[in-house]
Amino acid sequence: MTILRRHRRLLSLAAMLLAAAILLLAATSSGEANPPDAEAMPPPDSTEDFTRSALLRREIAPAERSGPAVVIPPKPERDPCLHCHIGGEDKGLWTPLARWTLFGGLGLVFAFGVYRSASAWITRTPWKPLTLRTAEWVDERYDISGPLSKALSKPVPRFALRWWYCLGGITAFLFVMQAATGIMLAFYYKPTPEAAYTSIQFIESEVRFGAAVRAIHHWAANGMILMCTAHMLRVFIMGAYKKPRELNWISGVFLLVITLVFGFTGYLLAWDQRAFWATTVGTEIAGSIPIIGDLALVFLRVGWDVAALTLSRFYGLHVIVLPIATLAFMGAHFLMIRRLGIAKPL
Amino acid sequence: MPESKTLDQQDTIPFYPDHASTEIKVMVAMTVIAVIIGVIGLLDPVGLGPPADPMDTPAHVKPEWYFLALYQLLKYIPKTAGVIIPIVLLGLIMFWPFLDRKPDASRRPQRVRFAVIAAGMLILIALTIWGEVS
Repeated sequence: MTILRRHRRLLSLAAMLLAAAILLLAATSSGEANPPDAEAMPPPDSTEDFTRSALLRREIAPAERSGPAVVIPPKPERDPCLHCHIGGEDKGLWTPLARWTLFGGLGLVFAFGVYRSASAWITRTPWKPLTLRTAEWVDERYDISGPLSKALSKPVPRFALRWWYCLGGITAFLFVMQAATGIMLAFYYKPTPEAAYTSIQFIESEVRFGAAVRAIHHWAANGMILMCTAHMLRVFIMGAYKKPRELNWISGVFLLVITLVFGFTGYLLAWDQRAFWATTVGTEIAGSIPIIGDLALVFLRVGWDVAALTLSRFYGLHVIVLPIATLAFMGAHFLMIRRLGIAKPL
Repeated sequence: MPESKTLDQQDTIPFYPDHASTEIKVMVAMTVIAVIIGVIGLLDPVGLGPPADPMDTPAHVKPEWYFLALYQLLKYIPKTAGVIIPIVLLGLIMFWPFLDRKPDASRRPQRVRFAVIAAGMLILIALTIWGEVS
C-alpha cells in the first residue's frame, strides 16, 4: 500500500496514458465525419447528375468504368454524427468539441468533488482518498500488494541502462499500439473482395481520425519489423542467447517470424493491385517449396487462386490467429526474461 | 558461469519507480511520435493504389520492403533454391544457441559476430536497395 501512496504521481501518469488511449478509441469509434456536400465535388460533366444519391440510384455497370466498380458507400438514413448537427444545423467539428470540453470539464470538476467528499464519508479522520480506500478494500481480501511490491522491487542491473536494451521493449509497445489501432480499423473494415477496397476508402475519408489511425497502423508495422530485427541483432552480437537463455532466443525467432507473417497477411487486406499481385507472387513462392509446396499454396490461398476466401483467410490469420500466437510467445519470452534476468555483458 | 546469480545492491537500481519512470517516458515519447504520424496521416493519408483486378497483371510486382531482398535474390537463382535458402537460414538462426555453446571468454567472439552481422546486413541492405531501384 505504501508503494501506491508514495508513487501516486507516476501511477496517475500511467492512468492518464490509459485514459488517453480509451478516449482516442471512443473518439474514433463514436462517429463518422460530416457527410461531404455535393457542391465540394463539382461533376465533371454538367449534363449528368453525379451527386451521391444519383450515383446510388444509377445502375452501376462495371463495363462503363475503367477499373472494377468502386461503389460509393450509401448515405446513411439516420444522421451518423449527432453532435455535428445541433438543432438540424451542421455545426461541424469545433462547436461540439467546444461543448464537450466545457461540459466535460464541468463534469470532471463535479466528479472530483464527489470523489473528495466520498473520501471523507464514513470516517472523517484520518482523511483517505477514495482510490486508496478502494485499493485497501481489495487488498484486504485478495492480497495484491504483497506479490505486486515483490514484482516491482526486482532490481534492474545498471549495465542494462543503455538505449540498446530498450529495443525489445519498444517492439512490445509497438505491438500494443498495433493492437489498439488494429481494433479501431477492424470496426470498419470488411474482408470481402467487393467491399474491402471501398471500406478502406471509407475509413480514410469518412471515419473521424480514420486516416490518422490507418497511418499509425501502417508506420508502426514497419517500425515493429525494424525494432524486432534490431533487438535480435543486439542479442546476437552480445551473445545473450547462450546458456541458459536458449529458449528465450527460440521464442524470439518465433516472434520475428510471426511479425513478418503479420506484415504479409496485412498487406493483402488493402486489396489494391499492389497487394493482390504481391500476394499472388508471395504465395507462389511458398508453393515452390519441395514436397509440401502445393499444400502450402492451397492452405494460403484456400484454392488455387487468390480470391475471396484468400482474403478471409488472411484476415482471420491477421486479426485472430497471429495476435493470439504473439501474446503466447511474448508472454513466454517475458516470463523467461523475468526468471533469468538480463544477460550480463562482458 | 560467466555471470553471478546475485547482483550487488550497488550495481542495480530499483525497477520501481526509478526504471519504470524511464520506461513510461519512452512510452510517452513513442505516443507523441504516433500522434505526429497520425496528424501527418490526416493531412496526407496513406492511400491506396488502383483496386485489385485479377485480369490485369501489372508490369512490376514488388513486395513490401522487408521481402525485397528475397525477391531480388529469386530473380537470379532457381525458385526452389530461393525457398530452401531462407528456410535453412531460419532453421540455423533458430537452433544457433545449440550450435554455439561456448560461453564468451573475451570480447573476440563478440567482434567476430559483429563483423558477420555487419557483412550480412550490408548484403541484405544492398539486395533491398537493388530490388527497390530495379
